[in-house]
Amino acid sequence: MEPIVRLRNVRVRYGNNNGGLVAVTNVDLSVMPGEVVSIVGRSGCGKTTLLKVIAGLVKPEYGEVYFNGHKVNGPCKGVGMLFQSPLLLPWRTVIKNILLPIEIVNGNVRNYLSRAYELIERTGLKGFENSYPWELSGGMQQRVALCRALIHKPSLLLLDEPFSALDAITREEMWNLLQEIIGYERCTTILVTHDVREAVLLSDRVVVMSGKPGRVKSEVKIGFERPRNLRVQYTKEFNDYVVEIRNLIGD
Amino acid sequence: MATGKKAKIINPLLTLLLIGIFWEVLVRVMNIPNYVLPSPSAIFATFSKYSWYLTYNLIDTLISALTGLTMAALFSLALSLPLAYSEVIRESIYPLITGFNAIPRAALVPLLALWFGLGGIPKILTAFLIAFFPILVPTLTAMITMERELWEMLQSFGASKGQILIKVAIPRAMPYFLSSLHMGLTSAFVGAVIAEMVASDRGLGYVILSSTSRLDTSLAFACLILLALTTFAISKVLSVVERRVVRWAYRADI
Repeated sequence: MEPIVRLRNVRVRYGNNNGGLVAVTNVDLSVMPGEVVSIVGRSGCGKTTLLKVIAGLVKPEYGEVYFNGHKVNGPCKGVGMLFQSPLLLPWRTVIKNILLPIEIVNGNVRNYLSRAYELIERTGLKGFENSYPWELSGGMQQRVALCRALIHKPSLLLLDEPFSALDAITREEMWNLLQEIIGYERCTTILVTHDVREAVLLSDRVVVMSGKPGRVKSEVKIGFERPRNLRVQYTKEFNDYVVEIRNLIGD
Repeated sequence: MATGKKAKIINPLLTLLLIGIFWEVLVRVMNIPNYVLPSPSAIFATFSKYSWYLTYNLIDTLISALTGLTMAALFSLALSLPLAYSEVIRESIYPLITGFNAIPRAALVPLLALWFGLGGIPKILTAFLIAFFPILVPTLTAMITMERELWEMLQSFGASKGQILIKVAIPRAMPYFLSSLHMGLTSAFVGAVIAEMVASDRGLGYVILSSTSRLDTSLAFACLILLALTTFAISKVLSVVERRVVRWAYRADI
């Protein structure tokens, strides 16, 4: 099988060509269709940059990025993104926020209404379609953002620390929801996080990055079947993974 | 003093009444001549004596100021779009606008009168020229200061610059635009009144100038009070419109 995402010897520099800061360098990474891959590392190690490179939001100075076999040259269609902050537009209702990407891409919102309602139902937002984002809790706002990321049936979901602003209990709910959604939508997922437990719980593979400049240091395969029960967190195997990854990140 | 919800209306009125009483007593006790400082009762007498004359001139000022304000609002909105859209356009035009703003607009009135005569046009233009800058700046700033993350998210949808402007930047700037109309409103009245003082034979600005030159100070005071009340009332109407149109911007107090 061909990888859905492939990075070859990628280097990213912020700022001008000679000066500036090398954010990531020598990155080779392949993600297979259906895989859930987490990228972990200290802050400033270039995890988010890597995600932006994959999304086509940042151009690498060197190296190539392929998505579905095509070279990435700009923001790519077929990718859904979820950020740390929900970034909902306060003057739009929940349903209109979810449909925003459709409005922007082809304007034919009607064809996606049933899809939007299906996602709303699946994420437990039923009854809030016509609420405004500021009338919802943080967790619910992030669910709306998740629906918006999924509205155009992306084959790749990119998550940039999506749950780090939520409280511990809401975060666990979101973990369950995300596993359910990934299972149902069958989208490949790349998750950037600094929460090692979250990475182990959700992914098939954890990529550990080291910083200054960012490089891929190592990879750990997680041997549990997906979807996973939250209780797996309390097993010895789970903790062994966490310790191993934590040690790879270093101190 | 009253407390609670009604206090918001009653307390400032009571304060005003106390100031009025103090003023009246001061004028009578100190025996201040009317042409230096007219007493509130003298001003009230002027109101009834000149009611038609004042109404007629107020309407004149009102029309000039509001026409100038409307033009300024439309012009600022229209101009902020290309300025927000392109950095090149912004860099080429914005410094000139800022430079123009550095000219005291009152100094332009004689020129406007020279070009357009003594009619309503110089008044409207002066109101417009003073009012547009305080509307343009916050509107444009709100359009161009979008969070980086939001911009990236929109780009990841494949949004073009124009789409981002229409779908996000403009609605996002609306609360700033509407609140800047308050600033624009007072500026427009300043512009209209100045133009009336320099180059007109109508309007409250003209009445103030001619009445003070006749030492009819209470008439000048009546004009000032009328101007304050009118601007205040329009400002209140604007606030109501604002709360309706951009309810989301006041989400903190809903």
